[in-house]
Parts: sequence; C-alpha cells; structure tokens
Amino acid sequence: MQYKKRVAIDKIAKIIFKSTGYLVLALLGGIFFMLLYNAIAFFLDVSPLDFITGSQWNPTAAEPAYGILPLIVSTSIVSLGAMLIAIPLGVGTAAFISEYASPKLKTILKPAIEMLAAIPSVVIGFLGIVLVGPGIADLNNLPNGLNALNGAILLAIMALPTIITISEDAIHAVPQTYREASYGLGASRWQTLRKITIPAAAPGIIAAVMLGLGRAIGETMTVLMATGNAAIFPKGFFDSVKTITATIAIEMGEVPYQTTHYYALFAIAIVLFFMTLVANLIGEYFINRFRKYHAA
Amino acid sequence: MNDMAFNRLISTVLLGFSILLWSCGNTDHTIKMKGSDTEVNLAVNLAEAYNKTDPTFSMAISGGGSGLGITSLLNGQADIANSSRPLTEEEQALFKKKNMLLKTVVFAEDATAFVVHSDNPITEIDVKTLSKIMSGQVENWKSVSGQDVPINIYGRQSSSGTYSFIRKKLKIAYSQKAKEMTGNAQILEAIKIDKSGIGYVGAGYISKKIQDNKGIKVLKIKNDADSNAISPLDPTAIKNRLYFFQRPLYQFIPEKSWAKVLSFIQFETKGEGTKIIEKSGYYLIQ
Repeated sequence: MQYKKRVAIDKIAKIIFKSTGYLVLALLGGIFFMLLYNAIAFFLDVSPLDFITGSQWNPTAAEPAYGILPLIVSTSIVSLGAMLIAIPLGVGTAAFISEYASPKLKTILKPAIEMLAAIPSVVIGFLGIVLVGPGIADLNNLPNGLNALNGAILLAIMALPTIITISEDAIHAVPQTYREASYGLGASRWQTLRKITIPAAAPGIIAAVMLGLGRAIGETMTVLMATGNAAIFPKGFFDSVKTITATIAIEMGEVPYQTTHYYALFAIAIVLFFMTLVANLIGEYFINRFRKYHAA
Repeated sequence: MNDMAFNRLISTVLLGFSILLWSCGNTDHTIKMKGSDTEVNLAVNLAEAYNKTDPTFSMAISGGGSGLGITSLLNGQADIANSSRPLTEEEQALFKKKNMLLKTVVFAEDATAFVVHSDNPITEIDVKTLSKIMSGQVENWKSVSGQDVPINIYGRQSSSGTYSFIRKKLKIAYSQKAKEMTGNAQILEAIKIDKSGIGYVGAGYISKKIQDNKGIKVLKIKNDADSNAISPLDPTAIKNRLYFFQRPLYQFIPEKSWAKVLSFIQFETKGEGTKIIEKSGYYLIQ
C-alpha cells in the first residue's frame, strides 16, 4: 500500500513538472508564431526589400514609408555605445572584486551590484531626463540632452550588473594553479591578471557581454524617455534616436488593428526578436564552451 | 489557418483571461476611463470631487493618448474614452462593424499653447510661419526671431490627440526632426532648458502662478500676418472662439455603460464639476 502511494505521488509530480516545462516551450513558440503570422501579413503589403533598405520610417504620412534602417541604426548606436561604456567598467569591476578586493569589501560590493539590477527601468529613464540629459547638454554646449549618448549611458548602467556578475564568476572560476604558475615564473599581479587570468576567462567574459547586450537591445522604457524619439536618420551620438522598442511602444497604443501599420509593428518586433536572440545565443555558446573548458 | 479562425482563437484565449480577471474583482461600481493625456489631470480632479458627494463611486483613470482610449473602448476595456479629437472615419467604421453605439459628451474646451524659451525675443507668431517651422521647411530661428540658431521642435507622440490636432490644424506633416516627448510636462521642462526650442502643450498645463513659468513664454497666435495676436490664456477670446488652436474635449461612452456613468456626466457638465473645469485652466462653452 505504502509503495503504491509513493509510486502514484512520483507519477503525479512527474506529470506536473513535465507540463510546466512544456508550458514554457509553448509560450515561446506561441509568441514566435504570433509575431511571424502578423509579420507575414505585413510582407504581403510591403516588399521585404523596401522594408530592409528604406531609410525612412513614417507610417502615418500621406504616403506611408516603412523603412526599418533608421530604427536598426538607432538601436545599434544606443546599444553599442552602452557596451563601449559598460565593458571596461564591468570587466574592471569584476577583476577588482575577484582579484584585489578584501573578503569584507567583497561582501558589500556583490550585493550592492545586484541591487543595481533591481532598479526599475522607469527610474533609470527618469534619471536620464532630470540628471544625465541636462548634464550632457551642459558639458557639450547642446540645446538639449535627449540623444543617443544619454540612452547609451543609461543602458550601460542597466547592463552593468549582468556583465559584472557573470564576468566575476568567470574570472573567479579560473583555477588557482594557473595564477600560482604565473607567480612562480616571477610575473606580477597585474601581468598575471592581464596575460593569464583574463584570457583564460575570456569565453565567460564574452558571454557576459553578449547577455548584457541582449538586455540593452531589448530595453524600452529607458530609451523611450531619454533619447528624444526623433524619426530622422541618426548621424551620431548627439542626435535624437528612435529605437525599435520605443517605436513599438509608442505606436502600438494608437494603431488601428489589422492594418498595414499594425502588421508593420510585428515585422519590426521580429527583427528585434532576432537581434536579441542572436546576442543571447552567442552568449550561451560561450558560456557552454567556458564550462566544458574548465570541466576538463 | 485563415484570418478569421486565428482571430477567433486569440479572442477565445483573451476571453478566458478576462473571465478569470473579472471574477477576481467587483467591476460593477468601478468606471474605467482611458484616453487623452491632456484630459487625465482634469478627469482625476473631477472624479475626486465627485467621490465626495458619492462615496460608493469608484473610477479607474489612465492616460496613454486619445487613440488608446478609443481603441480600449473598441476592445471593451473602458467605459469612457477621453479624447481631444473627434473619431476618425476609420474608427467610426470599426465601431459600426462591432455594432457599438456611442454617446458623445463635450464637457470642456481646450486650447493648445505654443511655448518657447523666455530668452527668445518673439512674443507672437502667425499660423503660416508656425506651419513652416513645424513641418521643417524653416529650420533656423534667423528668419523668425533674428537669432542664428537651429530650431528644436518638441512635440508629442503619435498616440497623442494634441499631436494629430496640431497636424490637422496646420495641414502639415511634422518634421522628421521633431522629438516625440512622453507628455506635456516633459515638453515644458525641455523648453525651460532649451533656448532654441519650440513646443506645444495643453493650456491647462501652463500654470497660473508666474513663478512656475520661469523660463517659458507662451506665444500669441495670429491667424494671418495682419490679424490680431491672441493668447491661449485669454478666456474671452476662447469663449468667442477666436484662438486658432482651440478645440472641444470629448468623452465617448458606449451605450451599455451609459446608465453607469450618467450621474458622473451630469456632475461634470451641469453640477459642481464645471467650477473644477474652469479652475484647471480649461474653458466652458455653452
């Protein structure tokens, strides 16, 4: 009797956990097919070539233009700018925590960095409007600070926790024997960090950067509030930009359903989906390589 | 899978969710109001005042733009849609397709003000020059005010009723360089910093206290080069419909919600509410 009960409970538990696992897969698949279905409806109206090469996004004009290029360039400028700021800061912080910081300082720094991840994006966006934006305007003698640089700085702040945490894990996981061998040859701490530890942790650091990049590309509220959202083709960091995410957020609320404009938003959403997917896949690939490398 | 079947699938799923949500909350007494950002502050003030006369009354108010409010009405997610523009033909057709009858209430008159930084020497502008600026044909202040600086346009997002109102009134397409700001307050703050900026906001957002308006200047508008310049803050001019950028504020209510919201509508059109409307910087026209 006891035995039968145990078997039954195990069976039920297995079914429950199996179904939760499949539910997640179904959600991912469902979202992907919804995007794809609506995007196909869009490409029946507008040729994919015009969509990819068009340099104007202006769906509400008398002659609607559905060129995704300015949006992709905007998203790229902001996220790559964010990475330029976040990578040195993040990897430097990770190296400091792992190699230089005293255990006491470590116990303060690590939770503090994780707290940074808990700040809501709308709060970061608000900082961009009242603090970073006016600061940029003052320093560069610009009339306003609502530009790509503002977005990049804010996104760098948001990507930092991801980059620091994963990089720190990677640097920490480099076997102690590597360092000892280096010290044994007379190398200094700096030489060891630069030539031994960081190269050995490189796959993990690349993974950290890619996951941080994925976060930056997909971020909506912050860029919506801080980058000015001008539809014009951006020329540099001091121009206002309108990213893919901001475009979807702004236009989805007012677009009449089942129209070309409505489908167009799904088409750009699928482009965004692939951009973050590629960043995340590269990140996952390097994380796995890193694990295998050190498991051996 | 064809279009209809797909839509049916989606709506079944959505229906399932809404029944789930519905059973969790008592929606009988709660009025859901969505729409124009211009009207949000006013609607909140009205609802708070009305609540004092009827404590059982509760109302959920959110903004997002006139278009969003009307879409929510279509999707059955709102009882009242605030809108600073009439329905478009496309929207009328959509309501007809769904067999939804709408009641329209005009409860206040709004004026849209054009603002510049207080260091900008101009005090008035005619409609023709304004449309050249907003459409991007004139990109430098030189021909307008004499200062040789590029013009920065601070506008609203395309979901805003004010955005489409100005576009229709000026009969232009906005300059691609125009920034799309998330609200009236953000435009005012940007103009306070930017000496080369120009923006448009609901007159209700221009405070009556002088010290709050430090850094901004409200432009008087001339219908053409020879006519009188009229300020959006002049109540008699608005009452006589002389200001170029003035418009009625609408509320759209589906027939089936009418009974639920009737006492509130009476409060705002005839009762105490009219005083609040005037105090908030809007105008009554009867």
